[in-house]
Formats: sequence, C-alpha cells, structure tokens
Amino acid sequence: MPPFPLLHLPQLVLFEVFKSLSIGEKFKLSLCSKKISTQINNARLYSQKAVVALDILRKKISVLCKNGQDNCEIFTYPNSGKSRDSNAQQFSIACCSVSAVSIPIGIKIFCKNHEEGFLSVIRHLLKMFQCKMSTGRYCWRQELFQPILTELFDLQQEFGTITVGLHETVDHNVLNRIFSYLGLVEGLEIPSVNFLPPSFFIPIFPPWPRRRIIIESNSSWLTLDILFTCTCSYIDIANTNLENKKLDEILTHWKAGGFPNLEYLQIGSTKFKRDGDPILGMVPNEWEDQITIRTDDGSKTAEVHIRRNNLVMDTLLIGLNF
Amino acid sequence: MTSPASSSEVKYLIESSEGNTFDVSGAALRQSNTFNAMFLNIGADGPIPFTDYNEATLKKVFEYCEHSVNEENYSGPKHQDDLSKWDLNFFNEMDQKMFIDVINASNFLDIERLTSYCCERIARMLRGKNTQEMIKVITLPTAEELEAKQKVEEKKAAAAKKVAEKAAETAEKTETLEELPVQQLVQTTRNKLTRKYLSFSNE
Repeated sequence: MPPFPLLHLPQLVLFEVFKSLSIGEKFKLSLCSKKISTQINNARLYSQKAVVALDILRKKISVLCKNGQDNCEIFTYPNSGKSRDSNAQQFSIACCSVSAVSIPIGIKIFCKNHEEGFLSVIRHLLKMFQCKMSTGRYCWRQELFQPILTELFDLQQEFGTITVGLHETVDHNVLNRIFSYLGLVEGLEIPSVNFLPPSFFIPIFPPWPRRRIIIESNSSWLTLDILFTCTCSYIDIANTNLENKKLDEILTHWKAGGFPNLEYLQIGSTKFKRDGDPILGMVPNEWEDQITIRTDDGSKTAEVHIRRNNLVMDTLLIGLNF
Repeated sequence: MTSPASSSEVKYLIESSEGNTFDVSGAALRQSNTFNAMFLNIGADGPIPFTDYNEATLKKVFEYCEHSVNEENYSGPKHQDDLSKWDLNFFNEMDQKMFIDVINASNFLDIERLTSYCCERIARMLRGKNTQEMIKVITLPTAEELEAKQKVEEKKAAAAKKVAEKAAETAEKTETLEELPVQQLVQTTRNKLTRKYLSFSNE
C-alpha cells in the first residue's frame, strides 16, 4: 500500500480523522510535520476536551480526556538523558527542537532543559486541545511553578484545580495573581504547610474559585463578611478563629438564602467551645447527632453535625437544586 | 425522470463528470444531506449534476447508500471492528485512489455514515504507531501539492454553487405551480442552499 496522502483530504474529513484518534496518537501525529501539526491545531475546537495535569516534581504531564477513558503521559527530560535511548528521534514542539521516544503510555521528550521542555509541551498541547489545567499537590514547591502559572495566566487559561501553599518561598506577586485570577479556576486548594515557616500573605477574596475552596492552613484571617461573599458549591476551610456565635450566624445566613450554590460546607475553628454559646439554639455539648435544618423558604434541607473538638460543620444538603 | 415524491420507489438521475447518467433510488439518495437540503422536497427537473465526481466513484458511493437503506438509523461513528462483512468487503475491494475519491464524494454529498467509516479506516492506519511509523504511513505534501489542493477545494465550491443554482432553478419552477406552501418550501430550500454554499466557500 503506498503512503496515504493524509493532508490531501478535505478539512472536515481530516478533522473527523483527528477526532477518531486518541490523545496520545494525536500528539504523536502532531510531531510528524509542521503542516500536520497546523491542521491538528486548526481542528482544536472540534477536538476532545482534555484535562492537563501538571506534575512538575515527576516531570510528567498527564493529558486526560474528560470521560477518563483516554489518557497520555508526557515525560520531559534534559537532553543529557538522550544518549541512553538510541530510539530518540528529532522533532519540533512549539518551535523548540526536541528528541522524543514513544512509550506505551505516552511519550518521553528530551529537551535542552526541563523548563524549556515542560513549557514547550504545554504550549503545544494548548494549541491542540481545549485544555483545562490542574497543578499537582506539591507543584507549588517547584521553581517551574511560577513561570508556568505566569504564562498560563497571561493566556487567560482555564484551570481545573490549583494547589498552592501559603509559604514565604512563593512570591507574593504570584499569589496575588492567583487570587485575582480565581474566576477562571474551578477549585483552589491551600494545603497545610505547618512543617514550614508560615507566610505573612493574606488571601484576598472575592473572586472565589468557581466551585471548590479547600483551605487546610491557618485561616485566622477569615471573617464572616468575607465568607458570605463565597459563591462556591464546596467550601472546606479549617483553622479559622470563628467563635460559636459566628458559626451559628453562618447557618442563619444559609437559612436566609445565603450561599446559593452550596452543596457542602465544613468550617474548622480553633475558637469553638463545646460548652460555649449555643449553635442552632443548643449548646454544642447537648447535640446528640446531626441536626436537620431547612432554609426559610423551605426549598433546601441540610444536615449539620459537629465532629471532634474543633467545630467542624459538615453540611450535607439534601434535596433541591442538585 | 425524477419526482418530488418521497416513496423509496422513486428513482433520480445522477450525472457524473463524464456526462453519463444513472439511476439512484430516492431512499439511497436521501442518505445524502446535501441532496436532502437541495432536492428532497421539491424534486429535480432533469439529472442532478454531481459533475465533480466520476461515474465509478458515484456508483461506489451510491452502492453503499443502497446497501445501507435497510440498516437501522445512523447513530454516530462505528468502530471498525463493528463493521459487517459486507462493509469490510466494500472497503477492502477499493484501491487507495478509489478510496480517496469515495471519501471526497461522500464528504461533498454529506453522507454521515460512509464518511465516518472512511475516517475510522484512516484513523486505523495510524493507531498504535509511534511518530516514526506514522511518518512512513502518510505522505507529507509539498507546497505545490498543497496549492493544488486549495484549487481543488475552490473548484468544489464552484461545483456546489452550480448544484445549488440548479436546485434554486427547480425550486422557482415549482413556485409558479403551487402557492403558499411551496413558496415556504422554496425559501427553506434557498436558506439551506445558502448555508451549504457558504460552508463550502469557508472551507
């Protein structure tokens, strides 16, 4: 069979062919030539939507299709590793010359240095797919985290989840940028970094992320005025300084129609007292199990309970609007 | 002889690039969205000119359509492994040139099922291969070849315009015979034709 003249096909047919290929196959095909790469880029809006998970620590970029059945892993290495693999071939990715070796789960890319390789692959993927980016849990501790985020913010790129530690090693300008950009981020996770010296950075909300906010670190800066502006459906904030009375106000606020998107709420507090002011009309010690509450208009129901010494309100809404 | 009736017994005359004409059943032709947009409700006065494609290609395409008339409604792309024995034979007996001609004609006629199977067949050539192996499977065109492809696309857009004009002409004739319902029909057809033509022009 003679070689197939793929690029002679009408554009719509070509787009349909690209659509039939898996993420990994499409990525490998895009390396064949600049012309093919351009055609694949032209078909971007016609292509599958991909979640791109950045694992800077392991030098790995995972590209997953939204249904989870199709994924490809791209590893980037500095050029020094190339000599070990005689199958490496020379290609061009985002104007950067690289060597690449196919592996069953994806592809290994060898570039001048890790940063250039990682950024080139990301730029290449952004042209190929409608991407939603996510950063791994420990990415924020890597040097590459800041230049990558800066570039992606400049491109107004959507994010699935950003995880960032509030630690002095993370530039405050980058943190400010992240917090000002949350309107395009579905979920923000701030892990606990108790093993590191604390940061003096205080997050500024709104904007809030579009769906999820998870804060495990010190949240003594959180006031009700700030919290009541939250539009997330999943709120999990630990280590606040909110006292019993304030925690009671949170539930009152929800009953009056506040937190309109809320599906799950968990607030931890260092100032919670089991024998302190009543919450929902009862001293917390008197709570036997979960209490069911309802909004004033009767449209939503929630179950509230207290867990451990810190007050943790674990609100699981039942019924409407889900 | 052609007729606007929707019965599967109705035959339409198709004209190829050689100027030859041959019959295709209405049921087979209705698998072409291009045909549906242009002629289905108003009928065609004389042969339908698909003169950008040769007789062998058009016959091959409509052979597929005739065969799939009785198959259940198309519900999205089918994996190559799910193709029937008849489908596999249909594809296997074509050489590469005929296969490409069939893809082009199927794309122009907008026959979803056939186009989708052709695309899946091409994707299968690339599946499971690394970049080096893919390069061996496909031909990478020169700048001249790409320019030639551009000219072919323009020619096809002109052909689509010609077919559209023919349909509009037929529609106008029908307009004089019947009153309001037909006028609405003609307007609808014109709108579809305009959209179709614009989509070809934009490619």
